[in-house]
Amino acid sequence: MSRQPTPPHPMATEDHVLVIQNLDKHFDGLPIMRGVDLAIRRGERHAVLGPNGAGKSTLFNLISGAYPPSAGVITLNGRPIQGLAPERINRMGLARSFQITNIFSRLSAFENIRMGVMARHGVLFDLFSRIQAKHRINEESRALLDRVRLGHRAETAAADLTYSEQRALEIGMTLATSPEVILLDEPTAGMSREETFYIVELIRDVTKGKTLLVVEHDMSVVFSLCDRISVLVYGQILATGTPDEIRANREVQEAYLGEEAA
Amino acid sequence: MSVYRLIFGTLAAVLLVALPPTLGLGWQNTLTDVLIASLFAAAFNLLMGQGGMLSFGHAAYYGLGAFAVLHLMGAIENGFPFPTPLLPLAGGLAGLIAGLGAGYFATQRTGVYFSLVTLALAEMPHALAPHWKGAFGGESGLSSMRMPSMGFSFGSSLEVYYVTLAWVVACIALLYAYTHTPFGRLTLALRDNEQRVRFMGYNAHATKTLVFGISAMFSGVAGGLLAMSSETANYSIFSTQVSAQVVLHTIVGGSGLFFGPIIGASVLTLFTFLMSEMTRSWLLYQGIIFTLVMLYAPSGIGSIIQAHIVQRSRLPWGRLVLPYTLSAIGILLAAAAIVFVVQMSEHIFSQSYRAMIERTGAWEPVVLFSVSWQPLSPATWIPPLIAFAAGFLLLTRLRGTIARLWHEDRRDPDPSVVPAHGTA
Repeated sequence: MSRQPTPPHPMATEDHVLVIQNLDKHFDGLPIMRGVDLAIRRGERHAVLGPNGAGKSTLFNLISGAYPPSAGVITLNGRPIQGLAPERINRMGLARSFQITNIFSRLSAFENIRMGVMARHGVLFDLFSRIQAKHRINEESRALLDRVRLGHRAETAAADLTYSEQRALEIGMTLATSPEVILLDEPTAGMSREETFYIVELIRDVTKGKTLLVVEHDMSVVFSLCDRISVLVYGQILATGTPDEIRANREVQEAYLGEEAA
Repeated sequence: MSVYRLIFGTLAAVLLVALPPTLGLGWQNTLTDVLIASLFAAAFNLLMGQGGMLSFGHAAYYGLGAFAVLHLMGAIENGFPFPTPLLPLAGGLAGLIAGLGAGYFATQRTGVYFSLVTLALAEMPHALAPHWKGAFGGESGLSSMRMPSMGFSFGSSLEVYYVTLAWVVACIALLYAYTHTPFGRLTLALRDNEQRVRFMGYNAHATKTLVFGISAMFSGVAGGLLAMSSETANYSIFSTQVSAQVVLHTIVGGSGLFFGPIIGASVLTLFTFLMSEMTRSWLLYQGIIFTLVMLYAPSGIGSIIQAHIVQRSRLPWGRLVLPYTLSAIGILLAAAAIVFVVQMSEHIFSQSYRAMIERTGAWEPVVLFSVSWQPLSPATWIPPLIAFAAGFLLLTRLRGTIARLWHEDRRDPDPSVVPAHGTA
């Protein structure tokens, strides 16, 4: 399969924070990821597009450490992270959200956020202090909760929040460990138009100065939010480029965009 | 709330300290057992209620704590200088070490598999103990004497009660403080969503191992207190029945609340003490209570009490009095019927009664509750059946009424929407 004129192989010349090279993943001999190359620039908002079953979620799981790749290299700031445990990758500065809301349902919204802030402050095995006395952690958690616009819902159990509030909380939890690279897996899935607009604004706001890699189905979201787009089809990157380049790319149109881009 | 808490706390403290000296030996020993069972249940619930891990093998850490304390007591007898009141420390240490080791393996699995691993691990000491004379004293077990220390003889049940009380109160206070530490909050997050905990940068396995170890440590203290009080233990302390007992206490009391398991352990231990003097079927009654709680109050007795306290200003107490009274009557009717049938059966199926039928060929009248009953006459069996049916019917009818009164939203009485209905 020939590659479209995407930028030449991305090494050295530019500042790449996350580089994926030749990534393979088989499940029971079935190839899901087939030699994926992807380089994410520092500070960009990068979308991964692709039809169902293209391997987008698998790609996120490989990067974030849910399971190890069969072959290939993933580097974060030049350090290899493939095959590391998720908590180690998180501590190296990469955090992710989940496609299916993945929160602490019986804890309050505030406490959901605070779990992440605690981890960032290295409070992992603290048995000998009161959580109320951790003023900095509590203040930062409060501020982050306000930032994802859930300040008024602080004491509500996460399970009792509305769906879009839970998605906002999900993003807040991802931000709470203060990652350099943020992976968001379909942040607007299942949302109404207004809710989508709200979440996109939120993402735009909270990812300033960070690097964002996002899986998203909503074209309007992708084209308005992201600096660059990669199209993933059957476990391979078909093309990478700016929204305009991707829109104009014939191969992408045939494979995926179809009439929507016409 | 805090005023109520203060009053309740003071009352409890006064009772726990001042009441036992006025009681007989049997009651003093039973209250010591209540305290120990409460601590064991609270320690167990750290793992189950807070950590979301249901262990079927906590007898192991309870038992190891007991044997560790017996060994230390033996050493003190032989001149090792160690203050007697601090004996349970050995139990805690044994529980912690065993718990960290077992937890390392058990917490690699979740759900049913976790439970099965804990069950299997607890079978090891149970199988080993009868054959290992040095560590567990073989089949007869170990016995040691409490030695006088710090000016106290530690000979009487009352002294043991006070040492136990101090330890249990201190340990439960520590367990409560645990819930307010960062690690305590992490424990709750782990219960809700282990995957997310990992993706936030926590080592979930190490966290779970430590939670397991701490739970086992306090279980070991409880076992140590038991050994200190009874001065003996044998391999039966490792039996699955002991593991099951703590699960039962916790669930009947309510695992979702910190004080639930303590309530469950206290109620059921007292219940066992009272019933086992009166009937051999006390285990059956305990089973019936457990089943009923599971069916009708799965979140436990503690949660029912908690709900009443939390909602007390919102509940229409005046309109609840009648349904509650009727429910109590229903419960009494059904309970009386069940007790009658169980006790009659116990008597009729007893060996002596069977032998009498063999001998005389006749079903002699049975004296129960000071009344003589003909076992083959319908007049004996129909009244309890009617009483049970009446009680059951009453309860099922009232459930709906009570639930309606509970969930009635009385905060916005909008006359335009809700048609005015006469209040009694």
